[in-house]
Amino acid sequence: MAVDTRRSRRGAKAKPPQQRPGNPLRDNADRRLPRIPPPCALVVFGITGDLAQKKLLPAVYDLANRGLLPTNFVLLGFARRDWGDGEFIELAHKAAKEHARTPWREDVWKRLAAACKFVPGAFDDDAAFDTLAETLLDLEESHGVAGNAAFYLSIPPDSFPVVLKQMQRTGMADNVDDSITGYWRRVVVEKPFGHDLASSRELNELVDSVFTAQDVFRIDHYLGKETVQNLLALRFANTLFEPVWNSHHVDSVQITMAEDMGIGSRAEFYDVTGTARDVVQNHILQLLALTAMEEPVEYTPDAIRIEKLKVLRAISLPEDLPRYAIRGQYTQGWLAGQRVPGYVQEDKVPDDSTTETYVALRLGVQTRRWAGVPFYLRAGKRLPRRVTEIALTFRPAPHVPFTASDTESLGQNQLVVRVQPDEGVTLKFGSKVPGTVMEVRDVAMDFLYGTAFTEASPEAYERLLLDVLIGDATLFPRHEEVEASWAVIDPLEDFWAGQQPAHYRAGEWGPAEADDMLASDGRAWRRP
Amino acid sequence: MSTLWDTTGTEVVKALGAARRNGAAVTSGLALTFVVVAEEKQVEMAEKAATTAAAMHPCRLVMVVRRENTAPTPRLDAEVSVGGRLGPGEAVQLRMYGRLALHAESVVLPLLAPDAPVVTWWPGRAPERLATDGLGVLAERRVTDCAVHDNALEALRIRATDYAPGDTDLAWTRITSWRSMLAAAVDSAGSPGSPSVAVAGGEVYGRPDSASAALLAGWLSSRLFTRVKVVQPDGGAPHENGQPDAAGISGVRLDLDGADPIYIHHRGGVGVVSRAGRPDSTAALAEREIGELLGEELRRLDADELYCEALAAATGTSGLGGRAPTRSLIWEDPATSEDKAPLGTAAEAKAIGRSKK
Repeated sequence: MAVDTRRSRRGAKAKPPQQRPGNPLRDNADRRLPRIPPPCALVVFGITGDLAQKKLLPAVYDLANRGLLPTNFVLLGFARRDWGDGEFIELAHKAAKEHARTPWREDVWKRLAAACKFVPGAFDDDAAFDTLAETLLDLEESHGVAGNAAFYLSIPPDSFPVVLKQMQRTGMADNVDDSITGYWRRVVVEKPFGHDLASSRELNELVDSVFTAQDVFRIDHYLGKETVQNLLALRFANTLFEPVWNSHHVDSVQITMAEDMGIGSRAEFYDVTGTARDVVQNHILQLLALTAMEEPVEYTPDAIRIEKLKVLRAISLPEDLPRYAIRGQYTQGWLAGQRVPGYVQEDKVPDDSTTETYVALRLGVQTRRWAGVPFYLRAGKRLPRRVTEIALTFRPAPHVPFTASDTESLGQNQLVVRVQPDEGVTLKFGSKVPGTVMEVRDVAMDFLYGTAFTEASPEAYERLLLDVLIGDATLFPRHEEVEASWAVIDPLEDFWAGQQPAHYRAGEWGPAEADDMLASDGRAWRRP
Repeated sequence: MSTLWDTTGTEVVKALGAARRNGAAVTSGLALTFVVVAEEKQVEMAEKAATTAAAMHPCRLVMVVRRENTAPTPRLDAEVSVGGRLGPGEAVQLRMYGRLALHAESVVLPLLAPDAPVVTWWPGRAPERLATDGLGVLAERRVTDCAVHDNALEALRIRATDYAPGDTDLAWTRITSWRSMLAAAVDSAGSPGSPSVAVAGGEVYGRPDSASAALLAGWLSSRLFTRVKVVQPDGGAPHENGQPDAAGISGVRLDLDGADPIYIHHRGGVGVVSRAGRPDSTAALAEREIGELLGEELRRLDADELYCEALAAATGTSGLGGRAPTRSLIWEDPATSEDKAPLGTAAEAKAIGRSKK
């Protein structure tokens, strides 16, 4: 932007010429000023839960510590505990101190503690919700939060209806249009967004009827990761990649999301959910959508959503499901030098459970850009290491002037976007081995955010929480996307129902069936 | 890490190449070259700050220490490290003696990362005209610090006279948290129904000799189209009378159209916003270390237009934004020139001012 010389101090004595509408101290060119939300309250239901303590409360502290919370901010906890503000502050203190990423600063905490309030009550307790609504009104006076509030539902999905109805009854969610009321009310929902298409529709209709659609923020913490946002920059800010980002040049795409952990303490939830519903429906399909989408007309939530939605709706399932939709379950094995139990031996898992802990899939995207390119997806638990990546394998060169023996160890070119850990991008290509003979071998060119440099990049939850309070919906899937994703998963679940999953030893890269699936296509899984 | 005594620029380039080959993974993602022009007594401070900044931004750090430029024989000592004591990236520390110190760019030029932007920082007093330092000429971004001068306001005026797009000063970086707090205070000044308010003017309370206070007032002037002055707090009401922070600013008053003014004052690392009829609110206003300030500077590699406007308003100079962003080297030989030290003292500044007239 060119400097507007009319804005110089000359003639300052005269009546102010043209102060801009809105806040004169803000300017788009001023990239030093952080984005700070307007005065607001963050109301958390289920504040005593695991997620709230491990992620949410530390993220609030980290935001405060980085000066990214407004001066008028209140954190309001709601849970079924016979507590006052004091006990809540104690819990928040412990959670924040234990899990915060930024250094502990007592003065920051003291200010935050002064902004912590607690309302005890059960979700079906009318009186408790009346108190909550009153407290919220009082805060407008006492803390100047100006009526803005975000409600974070950190609660099991089956409690959603009763909590949402309570909010409707007490009028807490009433806000059809911010520009008329002058304040906003938003709701934040965690995954799972339902367990199939029908239930997610029901949930969406319920949430959207209490709040308006644009005030509903569905947190998919994968989308808050720096590399995922970088994928859009990589594709659409560069000239180099987009021309080859299609079926003419791309042979296949592999998206991997591997965890070395087992199911931990989530057995009850996991056994009725399984990998496909737990991570494929949301994280992996979102990664696929970002990889395959067309260029959005602008970097706005709506424009990006339109493009992602087109991809999700264009996803096709393979006809030969037994070969291309593999489920697996881990059995006892050794992982990273430790003996780990099999899935059915985990606590609270029934001995005859057929729930999958691994999924490998081949999907197609029926667009001109991608027709004929297989998208291989895999996700699993108790795999050798924790890694999430998107790998594009390019077609072999149509003609190679070197002899076959010269290029024996030359593979196909690959572009790998590493989502976690070691966030970065790798380009794999052939290079001559130094020496007197012509020999070409694969080498890797790495871009690495690097451990030393990622410390400054915000944690996904921090980023997403800030976006909610600012009202930026770019990184949040809307209900159409959730429903389109379920439309992919539902037929698979129907197909799998009643089948036994294939087995793999903990510490292996999945069952043999998954390897066979790629082998029958003449390909192989990349070792991430 | 390798140390080279009495060496040549070519040897340093070779040593850096060897260090890179040995630690190839660390060097990827190089975004810029960060040149630090330090005097011997600032080396420790500059190393610490540059290391912090290098940890935030992948860069090649080239630190130049000029010593004894009257020494009879030129001499170059160098220390090359990759992922060592000077941060996670590549670092080269150069000590130059004798006439070589006047031609530092001849050693630095081949050490710049290919086709990456260059940022030069003077931890001590920067030259009055940056064009006289070859290490400033080759940089896209130049970072100075008026606060190290005895007469910071005079130094600020010199910066305005010498300004070219791409220059910034740490006195400006130090007030980012103030600016952010003021903007947030104005954001929340509205009431339900009329969310936005007009700011009619205001005053900055602070030390009259603080370059940061002057820039804050300059920034407000340029944003509000009205003269905002720096006044010394006179011990009035407590909300008008904060403690000066490290940059010398103790508070700000913002006058609103048809509403009570907003007072923001500093007290022990905390900013307090107070306004009649509303509860006080607070936010962190902590002093940041030089390394963190540099981290903020390295985040942007284009000209900072808002600094340009604030500097213009603070010093009453105009036409700063229209200047050419590049400088060409002005040769100044300390052996023949009158002022030998890299200027900045009040007396020198005055002498320079006279010579201009």
